[in-house]
Amino acid sequence: MWHIIKNEWIGLHRNRAFLGLSTGFMMVLLLTVVLGTLQTHLQQRQYESAKNEVRQQWENLNPMNPHGAAHYGTYVFKPNSLLGSLDEGVNGVTGKVLRVEGHVQNEIVHSEASQMQAVSKFGKLKSALLLQYILPLLLLFVAFRSVNSEKQSGRLKLLVLQGGQLQRLVWAKVLAVWLYGMALLLLTLVAYALASSSSIDANTALRVLFFFLSYGLFYFIISGLTVLLSTLGKNATIALTTMLGIWILWTIFLPNILMSTVDQWHELPSREAFKTAMKADRSKGIDGHNPSDERSKELKEQTLKKYGVEEVSQLPINFDGLRMQADEAYGNRVWDKHFGRLREILAHQKQDYQLAGVLNPFISLQNASMGFAGSDNYHHQEFLVRVELYRRDFIKTLNDKHAYGGSTTGDWQWKVDQGFFKSVSDFVYQPVRLSAVISHYFLDLVLLLAWSALVSLLLIFATRKMPLL
Amino acid sequence: MVGIGESSFDFRNEENASFMTSLNILGYEWKHFVRSPFKVVALLLFVAASVYGLHNGARLYETQMDEVANIEAKMSEARQECLAFYEADQKGPEKRPWVDVTAPMWAMWYANIYHFNTPSSAMEFSIGQAEQYGFYKKITTRASSYDNDLTQEIANPERLQTGSLDFAFALLYLLPLVLLIMLYNLNSMEAEQGFLPLIEVQTASRYWWLGSRMLFYIGLLWIVLLGLLIYGAYLTGVFTNAGFAFGQMLFWSSLYLLFWSGLFFLLIRNSTTILSNALKMVGAWLLFAFIIPATVHQGVSIVQPAGFMTELIDAQRDQIWKLYDLPDSVLHARIEQRFPEIANSPIAEDRKKRQMAYKASTPALFNDLVKTSIVPIEQAYRDRNQLIRWSTLFNPVTFFQNQFNQVTETHFDDYLNYRHELQSLIDQQINTLVTDTWEGKVVTPSHFENYIQDLSQP
Repeated sequence: MWHIIKNEWIGLHRNRAFLGLSTGFMMVLLLTVVLGTLQTHLQQRQYESAKNEVRQQWENLNPMNPHGAAHYGTYVFKPNSLLGSLDEGVNGVTGKVLRVEGHVQNEIVHSEASQMQAVSKFGKLKSALLLQYILPLLLLFVAFRSVNSEKQSGRLKLLVLQGGQLQRLVWAKVLAVWLYGMALLLLTLVAYALASSSSIDANTALRVLFFFLSYGLFYFIISGLTVLLSTLGKNATIALTTMLGIWILWTIFLPNILMSTVDQWHELPSREAFKTAMKADRSKGIDGHNPSDERSKELKEQTLKKYGVEEVSQLPINFDGLRMQADEAYGNRVWDKHFGRLREILAHQKQDYQLAGVLNPFISLQNASMGFAGSDNYHHQEFLVRVELYRRDFIKTLNDKHAYGGSTTGDWQWKVDQGFFKSVSDFVYQPVRLSAVISHYFLDLVLLLAWSALVSLLLIFATRKMPLL
Repeated sequence: MVGIGESSFDFRNEENASFMTSLNILGYEWKHFVRSPFKVVALLLFVAASVYGLHNGARLYETQMDEVANIEAKMSEARQECLAFYEADQKGPEKRPWVDVTAPMWAMWYANIYHFNTPSSAMEFSIGQAEQYGFYKKITTRASSYDNDLTQEIANPERLQTGSLDFAFALLYLLPLVLLIMLYNLNSMEAEQGFLPLIEVQTASRYWWLGSRMLFYIGLLWIVLLGLLIYGAYLTGVFTNAGFAFGQMLFWSSLYLLFWSGLFFLLIRNSTTILSNALKMVGAWLLFAFIIPATVHQGVSIVQPAGFMTELIDAQRDQIWKLYDLPDSVLHARIEQRFPEIANSPIAEDRKKRQMAYKASTPALFNDLVKTSIVPIEQAYRDRNQLIRWSTLFNPVTFFQNQFNQVTETHFDDYLNYRHELQSLIDQQINTLVTDTWEGKVVTPSHFENYIQDLSQP
């Protein structure tokens, strides 16, 4: 079989058009890696600069009341995804700036897409764009005549008469095309590894491996299906037009339609409805800024009882700080309920969209590619959850200082100095470990494997029944 | 063999010969088309996708209109509530004793002034960037045109990234593919079968013959486009609400069809095989629909990267807090410098009320800070967009995409204009607040109605 594959490759290399196209494509692939890496470096520099600026402002705050500092708050910026230079995923359309402050869980804002007019519906020239859309087309053009031309020239019959096995021949054709795709994929990933060698760790390497595996399976599906059609088709043109039709359906038509459909199945609330519902729930809780609020009074009674005193002025702590933290704790329950519901709806949408991989393996590839690149919505939501956990910790530190730092109730002039502000830890984002999220992508991998198995079975079946002329 | 002149006449020397031949060619081309399931299915799929896209757009339009109506109802309810305070000679809600609706500041707050970017009914043709931005905002003296609530509606980022299948998507990406499927075997099939010399003998010019055949498909697709546009127009009442937009959509979509037709004609006029036709056409489609826009997008994000809006962050937080920290004398001096007319106002003489008036006037200084910070941000927008506009010289798909967005008022510039309108309303509210506060105005129900009227129009 290796001999046939080698022959196929030699044949392809003798074709000048093929060589020219391959060289051009390789150069564009390498260019995408270079541009992607350059953009990532620029973004990283901007990120570091913005992060340092905001941190400096926080550390150099004039002495201030801790609750005042909670209102002053801080900002968290969304860092680059691990393999963002390969597949940008949702990063271009999600916000990048998140305000962290007391009393409220803010939403992430200022997306890149909102800062310019529309340019490309399919995103930037990242490796993923070429690997998902263009490389499969290239494989299709390489494969559509592979068996048909042998049949029409009569060489197939000759080979069989000479003792060659038809099935081995067809499989060798599939593998020759597939290996060509894998070589280009490998070239991209090696170039990426060289360009990003300083930032690659075990987690990233594992992600690259799964990224490679997902694309490998998809290329096998494309190569196998095209060779299958070349085997079955009366002429090569039928194989080509059918494969082109499938490509259009899979890459352009179905992803949009299916995504819009799952969006309608699991409808997200409007911003107004979402905010109104949160406000209604929030108003049922304690109001940290209103001492005459019924729940504030209840908390006051409990605290007085706990400390065995009659008046808040006799408390050894600052009751205002306790009230603010009680306000936060209630707010957190409200945010968890409403933002949690949003996350649930998004998860349902994602699951249904992943199931659409049964109809369209391209959807499974896109999901897996974004997922392993760390740039899909799961990773985005994970980032938001971590920022919210940081916010809660950040505000609690300030409220605790307010309550237990040595001030008395009602003393809003009491201030903490820069030493305290410096002691409040900054947000540190640890990239999500693949092991923590891989279960989300099992379905995509399983569907890609199932499609590969189906194509293999069809190839075996078709080869058995194939006429030699 | 269909599509070549099968008539036994040579029309070259006869009157109206060209016209008759053209009719013959169109007639045969129709037969060719209906007998080709691949082409018929492609056209039907295109129509289905377009109808789906039109309904998607109409759904978004209706959702946004419902939201506007919903907020307007809430606004009206809140205003009635406030008018009831005046009637009952109450200062405000019992639970909020600090509220005084006879003071300009509270009256403006309770006037609940919202400004909407009301969607055009033509939005169904192109959703454009409508899902990237908010379309309603409450105008307050502390608001800014870059507040967080102006961010996009709640949406699945993966759907935004995949893009909605709207009519513009079908037009921009699927229409050229349908045209490709219609034309890929024109000329090349005859060339492969060796009929071209015969055709040249019968029709005088091969290019004219090819052009006539193409004309059939261009006409067919144009009629389909017209039908789809009319169907879409009836979905949201475009003829009644935005008739000019219909004409513009028809113009730009016809031009877009002609662009691809011209390009494909150049590619297939000398081709010798179906395969080379298909390869060249698919290559052109990939180049114009994928590679060039994606390269421009990548280039723009490297040359003019979208930032983290740190200028705005600094203004909205650090600089405003620094203003709070200023001694009263300095802060008051700044307010007097900003509004020299308050020196001669009735409140300027009243020491007790003056303090409150200074407090009510501070948002003007915050607003100035934010406006200053927005200048470099919007300059960056302009630079970035200028770069994209310049690229349209070789990036026609992006050009047409933005034309469609402009027609349907879902272009970046429409949302930037909306921000400018918001800023103008914020300025207006602040100026009125400062003037009325320093004049010592006691707000009556008729003043309240005037606020609603005057402060809602940018």
